[in-house]
Amino acid sequence: MVIWIPMVPSTPTQTPVSGPSRGRGFRWVLAGAGLAAVVAAVGLLWRGGDDAQALSASAAPVNATRSAGSHGGGGGGGPAPSGVEEAEAAERRFSDQTCFPELARFNDGVTLETFRDWAAPLLASKDPLVRDYLMSKLSELIGDDAGKAGQVVAWARDAQGAEFKVLLSGLRGSDAVQKPQVAARLLEAGMDKGLPIERRAGMLSALDTQKHLTPDAMDRMAEFARDPASTEAGWAATRTLGRVMARESENLGDASPYLDRLITIATDAPDEQIRHLAQTAPLHNSPVLDAKTTDRFARILQSEGNEDGRDAAAQVLAMSSDKEQTLKLFADSFNREQSVCVRWALFRFSARVAGRDALPVMANMATVDPRFQPLYRTFETLYASGNVDFIRIWNELPDQNPFGCMDRHQ
Amino acid sequence: MPRFLQGLRALGGLALMLAPPAALAQSTPPAAKPALEGESCSVRGLMDQLRQGLGSSSKAYREYLNAVLREAAVSLPSGELHAAFDRETDPAMVEQLAAALVARSEREAEKDAIQAVARRALEDRDPSVRAATVRAMRRTGALEKTGDMYERLMRDGSPEVRMEAAQNLIEDNQYVYSGHHGPATDTAVNAAVASTDPKVTAKLLESLDTRKLGPEAGQKLLGMLGHESADVRRSAALALGGVPAAQMAPAREALVGMYRGERDAGVRKALVQGIAELGFADAVPELRKLRSVDPSMAPEIDAWIRVLQSGVQEWGLLLREKQRLQQVR
Repeated sequence: MVIWIPMVPSTPTQTPVSGPSRGRGFRWVLAGAGLAAVVAAVGLLWRGGDDAQALSASAAPVNATRSAGSHGGGGGGGPAPSGVEEAEAAERRFSDQTCFPELARFNDGVTLETFRDWAAPLLASKDPLVRDYLMSKLSELIGDDAGKAGQVVAWARDAQGAEFKVLLSGLRGSDAVQKPQVAARLLEAGMDKGLPIERRAGMLSALDTQKHLTPDAMDRMAEFARDPASTEAGWAATRTLGRVMARESENLGDASPYLDRLITIATDAPDEQIRHLAQTAPLHNSPVLDAKTTDRFARILQSEGNEDGRDAAAQVLAMSSDKEQTLKLFADSFNREQSVCVRWALFRFSARVAGRDALPVMANMATVDPRFQPLYRTFETLYASGNVDFIRIWNELPDQNPFGCMDRHQ
Repeated sequence: MPRFLQGLRALGGLALMLAPPAALAQSTPPAAKPALEGESCSVRGLMDQLRQGLGSSSKAYREYLNAVLREAAVSLPSGELHAAFDRETDPAMVEQLAAALVARSEREAEKDAIQAVARRALEDRDPSVRAATVRAMRRTGALEKTGDMYERLMRDGSPEVRMEAAQNLIEDNQYVYSGHHGPATDTAVNAAVASTDPKVTAKLLESLDTRKLGPEAGQKLLGMLGHESADVRRSAALALGGVPAAQMAPAREALVGMYRGERDAGVRKALVQGIAELGFADAVPELRKLRSVDPSMAPEIDAWIRVLQSGVQEWGLLLREKQRLQQVR
């Protein structure tokens, strides 16, 4: 089934997403093509995305449902309107975009020193394109100058509203943010108990473009995320750890130090949303798990009270290097599991563990719970027809949401 | 913008042009704060801004101008926009105006606006303008609305135009359709086959996701394995690795059969990769057999065998593990 979904994720309660900006395109993807319900739920959480999104750790659920866009082939019935009528109708339908003829002078003349003063009327316009421009322009003004970056961190300590976001987004996108002294300053601000918690969240989020985090930074962020008082700033710290881990993985670096800390958060954080964020972090880089990591995630599968967490653990465990042990764990967990959604995760991710070789285990699951009989037959047929890639299998399923589990997140 | 402000702006521009060189300018006071008042966008105003701003050294500003034109496009007067597009001859400006028309079409403000862009991509006398209009259609649904435009562009006399068209098909398939729209995949394969430029054909095929390839286009792709250009054979082998389940068996047979007779090392590597993708762990026995054909390929085949035996069940992750292995070696 092909459906349209917007480029911004459908949002779980804790996903920090602002609404899609106007003019963004829509893309064709399969329903839940990323992988599982849990990925669909977490969406593109770890990916770069909009700067303002990254810096807002407050929940901002949006209704992601949109009608089919302009793609998808044939038009509907009825006579087509003439070009002129269509154009006139469009002019009525779309609100005017604001233009700023003097922006060229702003662009040529603004310096870091004048930025806040000059940008104020532009920010007051609330134009999203201008706001994006200001973020990028500030990154250019900072360049790779650690002194300028430090100045912006200082401003961000007391800047308000949209200006706060622009300052930190500009910093986050600058070259200078990669300098150790700038990253250290942001971390210190993020850990500063004297600052309001949402401001600390912004500081910690601005670290998510780092290419690497030092072991000390990772430890401090992980410890902070486990502090019951950390709330949204702990959530931002966890997200930053996950995003930097994903970037390390993309660059074929070593993700294990990040994963180690994230599993600690995933296990120990008292806040369920922070724990869940950490549990889902490895879904975005799919690390191959060694024996120790497999054991730690197995404990999450067996002991996490939140079924979304157990669902995520099943998906992460499917990348364990010990296929036999994982299939056995899935079979045992399936028998004990009460939630049909987690059972569905254990069932389908068995195929991610071992492909066609998992079919006997899946057949047993379908015997334990007959609701899985038709699903088993579908998997069996897909493997028999020559499919080997789990993603292909998933995308070929006639119904990726047989138990309505994805709907939990809408 | 009121006329008196336009006049001031013109003077401002002149003042900048007459400003002393940077070294002498250090003692001059900082630039005066501009009056940043928003107003309704107009075609002429935007064209002026773009004409001045596209050469700006600030990427942030250039990107803003691009975005604002596309955003404003839906509410700009259609006739004025079309007239400006028809009149314009500077490729950079043509690209912007074409993108505005494409945006109108994409957002259903004026469905047929893209036809004017497609016509110019095919018919303008200046190859730079044709290339620019092709770029304006990138990452949109243009290939669903422009008939056989891409096949015709493959036969364009200008290599730049052909390459831009190939880039559109690659990026549309990847970013607009995520490889899940069979007709878009088939359009790319048909264009690759229609091309008489091996570089373009190879570029199109090597990164194409063929999971939704239709049977007819699949046959054409198999035919590309016999191409005289090693680059084309290599990219066709890679593309065949991803075909749908129903086409896997003939693809595997073709790749294995070809391996023994192939002389080019790059093509052989691609054949091995295609075989690995089509079979995952099931490909290991076949790869073992091929190992003795060319001893220089043994390390490559061994690396694939090791990765496939890891039991990872997703092609993207197998590719990553293979890269990791190469990094270690």
